[in-house]
Amino acid sequence: MKIAVVVQRYGSAINGGAELHARYIAEHLARHADVEVLTTCATDYVTWRNELPAGVETINGVAVRRFRVRHERDPRVFAKRSEKVFHHRHSIGDELEWLNAEGPTSPALVDHVAKHAGDFDFCLFFSYRYYHAFYGARAAAGRAILVPTAERDATIGLSIFQPLFKSVRAVMYNSPEERAMINAVSHNEAVPGIVVGIGSKVPNSTQPNRFRQKHHIRGPFAVYVGRIDQNKGCTELFDYFQEYVKDPASKLSLVLIGNSLLEIPKHPRIRHLGFLDDADKFDAMAAAELLIMPSYYESLSMVALEAWAVGRPVLANGQCDVLKGQCIRSNGGLYYANKAEFIGTLEALEQNRWLAGSLGRNGRQFFRDQYDWPVIERKYLDMFARLSKEAPRPAADPLPGWFDRRRQDLPPAEAVLAQLPTGPAVPSYEAAGRRRA
Amino acid sequence: MADFNVRSDSVNVEQIMEQIRTRIREKRGVDYTEQQIRELAAVKLEKFLDPRGVRSDLLDQFRKAQPAYEPPELPNFAFEDATLFESHRAPIQWLRKLLLPILKLFFNPNPLIQALHIQARLNTMNAEREARREAARRQLDQLYYELIHNLVLETTRLGIDVKNLKMRLESVSSRLEFNERRARALESVVVYKPSSVDEERPPRPERGDRSDRGDRGERGDRSERDRGDRSARHQSQQRQYAPPPPQEAAASTPSAVAASPETAGALAATPNQQGAAAGATPAEGPGQRSRRRRRRRGRRGGGSAAALMGAPGTPTGQTAESGTEGAAPLPGDDSEPFDDGGDEAGGDDHAVDAAPAVTTARHDVPAEPVQPAAPPPAQHASPPAPAADPLHDQGSAPAPGPGNGDTDPQ
Repeated sequence: MKIAVVVQRYGSAINGGAELHARYIAEHLARHADVEVLTTCATDYVTWRNELPAGVETINGVAVRRFRVRHERDPRVFAKRSEKVFHHRHSIGDELEWLNAEGPTSPALVDHVAKHAGDFDFCLFFSYRYYHAFYGARAAAGRAILVPTAERDATIGLSIFQPLFKSVRAVMYNSPEERAMINAVSHNEAVPGIVVGIGSKVPNSTQPNRFRQKHHIRGPFAVYVGRIDQNKGCTELFDYFQEYVKDPASKLSLVLIGNSLLEIPKHPRIRHLGFLDDADKFDAMAAAELLIMPSYYESLSMVALEAWAVGRPVLANGQCDVLKGQCIRSNGGLYYANKAEFIGTLEALEQNRWLAGSLGRNGRQFFRDQYDWPVIERKYLDMFARLSKEAPRPAADPLPGWFDRRRQDLPPAEAVLAQLPTGPAVPSYEAAGRRRA
Repeated sequence: MADFNVRSDSVNVEQIMEQIRTRIREKRGVDYTEQQIRELAAVKLEKFLDPRGVRSDLLDQFRKAQPAYEPPELPNFAFEDATLFESHRAPIQWLRKLLLPILKLFFNPNPLIQALHIQARLNTMNAEREARREAARRQLDQLYYELIHNLVLETTRLGIDVKNLKMRLESVSSRLEFNERRARALESVVVYKPSSVDEERPPRPERGDRSDRGDRGERGDRSERDRGDRSARHQSQQRQYAPPPPQEAAASTPSAVAASPETAGALAATPNQQGAAAGATPAEGPGQRSRRRRRRRGRRGGGSAAALMGAPGTPTGQTAESGTEGAAPLPGDDSEPFDDGGDEAGGDDHAVDAAPAVTTARHDVPAEPVQPAAPPPAQHASPPAPAADPLHDQGSAPAPGPGNGDTDPQ
């Protein structure tokens, strides 16, 4: 079996969510099939500047073929077109221009996929929102499998992606919430799909004491791992946590791991350790009482899964449907919707060791059942086997003609997004009708 | 938060979240958003004005209900100098003008004309002024209405704040009560052992170390929270605290005990003084006395034991100089505010921790009864080591003990 993995960036030093996801999948599928990665020469997801040489190289035993990006992203043009398609009535032409402005615009990559798609059994396209996935999936026709890595943002409301979701052979979702959202926006229930997600390279054993000694950390602490950014909910986290530690009964400190893009409050109970390697990260999680995940938008929180993998409970932002759904499905974490709930849940996890331990154990079991690598690999292989037996789906409709592209009849993407159902995709919520449109 | 009703075999996050939310509601009252507050205020005001209908756009409705003000058309007249002689027939008007001098022979119409002219002007001015006033009043009405609206809004918010503060006060009160109960519970697991005071006084520094370690070990068994709260809160007080055991006061005046057996007998008959009259009374079990009361009595007795015993020629000062640390008034002085002010809160812990003459025992250890055994005469004869204790020389300085456990003697 020969598999192509098509992704916008690829490399061992590239740690973006979807890119890391693609690398892990490529490396694990390489044990079962001949895998080739098709990607661009870019490493920066903002500029898409060609920084790596075009051609073929091998990374961790996987062949990687790179193609040049035709033009870098112009932030002004991209912002202008984003404003148009997200907030105003617009046309399909506007959306296609937005896609070109977003990048990475690599016609060479798409041409290669169109010419050599027949050489592969299946082509896995990562991240539906980018140029390579939109045009590449159309080029690969009946061999395209999409890993959308979709978040709940306005991009999902663009109309050009609805045919994409319906025309691919299969969709590998990260979470039930993502699946529900894509089904609602594109009505692609007929397309074979499965919730897979991704595993993680969890070490067999962790050394929490080593971490404490190395970083001179004493006492119980909660850990946050990830980019320290306002978009990740960190400002709110600092505010809530400083309120929490006003209670004299609280003993927890907050340890932050990751590069910071905002000012961290100077507080004796807040420690920033910067970027740490994987060993330190897992040791920190094992040493921590819990992981806090304050992000509003997550397609699949790998950090939360890693915390569960080492048996630690997670306190997640309940306004992120995916995180809330994961907590409920796993019974491995609590969630908050406001400051009072943050304090209440954190207090519960700190003071009730039994509760924290039970949640951590549930989380570990959830990780083993759903996100361990053998499980992930089996889901992919089963999907390949299923698709091999099924007749290929008809090719996607061609893009609209000159006049149709200029018809200003599409609603703003934000408005489309607002119509989509929200809430965690768990049986209790669906039974109670709490997934709301 | 330790009292969640969750089964150990199945954790349900949604149930736990419901419990947490319920707890938050109980603890803090209902949290209203700004929008909810506005709606509440709007509904209240609307009901006040028109209970039959509830509308949230109250101000808009009010403005609509009040039509724009238009000044009324008041009747008036214009009176000029020629008004009296006007006519729509020109010849008659000419004739009147012609005969005007003749008319003026009979009376002077000018003041009449002037008065009516002024009156007409006054009427106009009054009408204009009234219109302005009415418009201003109506604007003020709207402002008043808005002001009342905002006041209701703020009152609602304040009411909610008051409710929340009451809830917090209750929470703090319950926490305080819990801490007091915990302090009493801790008190009940320790008892005095007056006999050991005198028996173990000579090797006091060693014993202090030992009891220090023992107590510290016992304290180490306590929960993290207990240690954190109490040690942090009372550390400074502990450092300044010196044990004022009443038994020492009594023991420090052995001559008084020996000199007045009647008094000793009387004391033996008085349970309060059993500790002072060592050897004259049977042992007390740990549950027979409130330890706090004993301490208080003991401390009061520390200075007045000799007087109570009626020991002639044994003044209080002499008792203090006899070298026993507990008999000195200084520790009593040090501990007095501590005892009076915070005895339930944690003072007893300090007494237990800091008193070298006190041994700790749990109720479930029957081999540790309170044994007010008679002190050996040798100890009565020779005052024990505290005279050589540099800490004691400083008067108010504490004796080494777990109360100072934060500074490790090693």
